[in-house]
Amino acid sequence: MSAWRQAGLNYINYSKISAKLLRQALKSDLKADALKREASHLKVTKWEDGKPIKTSEY
Amino acid sequence: MLGKAVVQNAFFGQQQRGMATLKAISMRLKSVKNIQKITQSMKMVSAAKYARAERELKQVRPIGNGAKQFYEQAEIAPPEDVPQKLVIAITSDRGLCGAVHTSVARHIRTELAKDDQNIKVVCVGDKSKAILSRIYGKNIILACNEIGRLPPTFGDASKLADAVLKSEYKFGSGEIVYNRFKSVVSYQTSILPVYSLQSVAASPKLSIYDSLDDEVIQSYLEFSLASLLFYSMKEGACSEQSSRMTAMDNASKNAGEMIDKLTLTFNRTRQAVITRELIEIISGASAL
Repeated sequence: MSAWRQAGLNYINYSKISAKLLRQALKSDLKADALKREASHLKVTKWEDGKPIKTSEY
Repeated sequence: MLGKAVVQNAFFGQQQRGMATLKAISMRLKSVKNIQKITQSMKMVSAAKYARAERELKQVRPIGNGAKQFYEQAEIAPPEDVPQKLVIAITSDRGLCGAVHTSVARHIRTELAKDDQNIKVVCVGDKSKAILSRIYGKNIILACNEIGRLPPTFGDASKLADAVLKSEYKFGSGEIVYNRFKSVVSYQTSILPVYSLQSVAASPKLSIYDSLDDEVIQSYLEFSLASLLFYSMKEGACSEQSSRMTAMDNASKNAGEMIDKLTLTFNRTRQAVITRELIEIISGASAL
């Protein structure tokens, strides 16, 4: 078992973090464009019994 | 507005029955013209957004096809002992784009009508949530919004995939319902299959892939869920923009027809008023 999975991450989180680090390592002229691709606006809400639950935070 | 004007005229008895006043017609004409302006500019905006969405879709298609190929080559079948299914509806927050959202929701509704015990729904976009929550609110386990204003990113897709994996809902098989973009004027509501780790591991044809262990499969499935979602979001966004473009084009055309008709009645009424006034003057003069 790899270390990141033991730490409670799944592959999505793992690759997200690696991608973030890679983007930060880019040269400044390429960095601006790459950082735009990182943005995410989606909001996820959990639902139960036909009602949204506030507490979940992703 | 027109009806009100007619009632008023009948009350005062100033004009012929059924004839709207000049003022009422000109007000209506103005409002229709404003609506046409709005729909026209919305069309322009969505045309620009569509061009961008199509360009991005072309780049994303290989990712989606690659992820799809894995399931096809391994010939994975949904497990029979686990009836739980997951359905992911890919829509967006924004309306005024024809039937893109309703056709996705309708597809899911027919499935839920057959079996509403074992199917859980993930709603992406406010539109599918609004349509499905009324009758099948209890089947929704996750709902997402803030999608559709900007083009979807891989970050969005991975956030959603992460939420689906962490939702603690154990599903045997699943499907992503989305609108596949065919051309500027057409899209097709299609499904992409998704399977759980158990059903993939149980597949007899998995041995065609070399050096697979459980962890590799698990990592790959997590990643492929994100890329399938990303692909379907892009397809959905592109179909939505193209559909909005046609919808707004039709709306502007209809408004144009209405403007023509209203201008005609406006001119006719104006002339009728002038004629009536002339008759009144002449008959008044001859009575002297």
